[in-house]
Amino acid sequence: MAFQDEIIALIPQLRRFARGLCGDRALADDLVQDCIERALIKSHLYDPARPLKAWLYTVLRNGFISGVRHDKRSTVVKSIDDLGVGEGASLPEQEQGLSVKQLRDALDLLPVQQREVIVMVALEELSYREISDMTGVPVGTVMSRLSRGREALRGILERRGQPYLRRVK
Amino acid sequence: MNMKILQNWALHAYADGELDGAERNDMEQLIAASPEARQELAAIRRQKEAVKGSFSGVADEVVPAKLLAAARRPLSRRWGWAPNLAAALALLIIGGAGGWLASARVNSVAMASLPERAFSAYEVYAVEVRHPVEVPASEQDHLQAWLSKRVGAPFKVPDLADKGYTLLGGRLLADGAKPAGLLVYEDAAKKRLTIFVAGNAAGNEIPFEIERRGKLVTCFWRDKDLVYAFVGENSADDMKQLAQAAHDRFEG
Repeated sequence: MAFQDEIIALIPQLRRFARGLCGDRALADDLVQDCIERALIKSHLYDPARPLKAWLYTVLRNGFISGVRHDKRSTVVKSIDDLGVGEGASLPEQEQGLSVKQLRDALDLLPVQQREVIVMVALEELSYREISDMTGVPVGTVMSRLSRGREALRGILERRGQPYLRRVK
Repeated sequence: MNMKILQNWALHAYADGELDGAERNDMEQLIAASPEARQELAAIRRQKEAVKGSFSGVADEVVPAKLLAAARRPLSRRWGWAPNLAAALALLIIGGAGGWLASARVNSVAMASLPERAFSAYEVYAVEVRHPVEVPASEQDHLQAWLSKRVGAPFKVPDLADKGYTLLGGRLLADGAKPAGLLVYEDAAKKRLTIFVAGNAAGNEIPFEIERRGKLVTCFWRDKDLVYAFVGENSADDMKQLAQAAHDRFEG
């Protein structure tokens, strides 16, 4: 399969990864487009011995991180305390489980480094080692970002009156 | 092991299938013995499923046309040699024969090939036992900001700890009439590795290439804004692997 066809076959996964990283649909698709364009320009730097998917994820993630760095608005980490305690908790359907929107909103509140690790593990099923290679930080740092991020995510959901994730049946 | 440690990382590693052998057995015993650990594990797994579930539909959406178009755009030809040739022609045309010779003399240092410049920097500085660097690794943020500014484009000092190399620090070099940066790393056996970084005046991108000088091997490449050359006493394959790992991290 030609290089470009291989990229096309991976677009659905790239879109999912991008959405996990930045949440917003339009921004995520811009990230994917940027990733594809960069990948084609830099195709000579791709080592065919490595999986194309891992390389594209790295290109996409680098684009995301440099975008975050340039866009001051998104470097401001929203404070968990900005949320009303129990906000929206009165809706009865929430008792049934966690809505997609609630979880995405909660992810938006996490620092980028924690969010990306949570997404890479849960959504893309990458190993700690793969994440370490992609982000350039040691595996121990990946682990601490992950456990801190998951704790923080759980805390946010609980503050929003959503006990689902903690409740033990 | 107390519950605090469990919560911090080991249970997560277990839930993510990252433990095996003895570690995994130990964790299974702890979980079997501790209702609290079982609750935590269940909570981690539920959250992981919930995160996955919130985005799982995205991969099934119809791919936007603009993304397909981006992937199908014809690959433009890359003129790896053209900027150099154009620069040489311009010198000839502007300077005439006399000017050409003068320019060639003035630029002789800068015109040494990238591997030669990188080998020379290694030979001068990597052998320094006490003063291999100007700015130590403890001031890495400063080093990165300073060298980025001087070479004219931002780059990230790559962390190569997982490849066995610790950053010692870096220094500014005179590369002909221009500034360049040198990063120095060392492995457990005190073997040094240097990375030479300079602005890419030609703007041409070229992929990894390998060259040797005696025991030294360099793996070098050119990106749009910067040129990079790794130098060390390693095999060509090892150098390429290190360069590959660092390449992805330079942009960070």
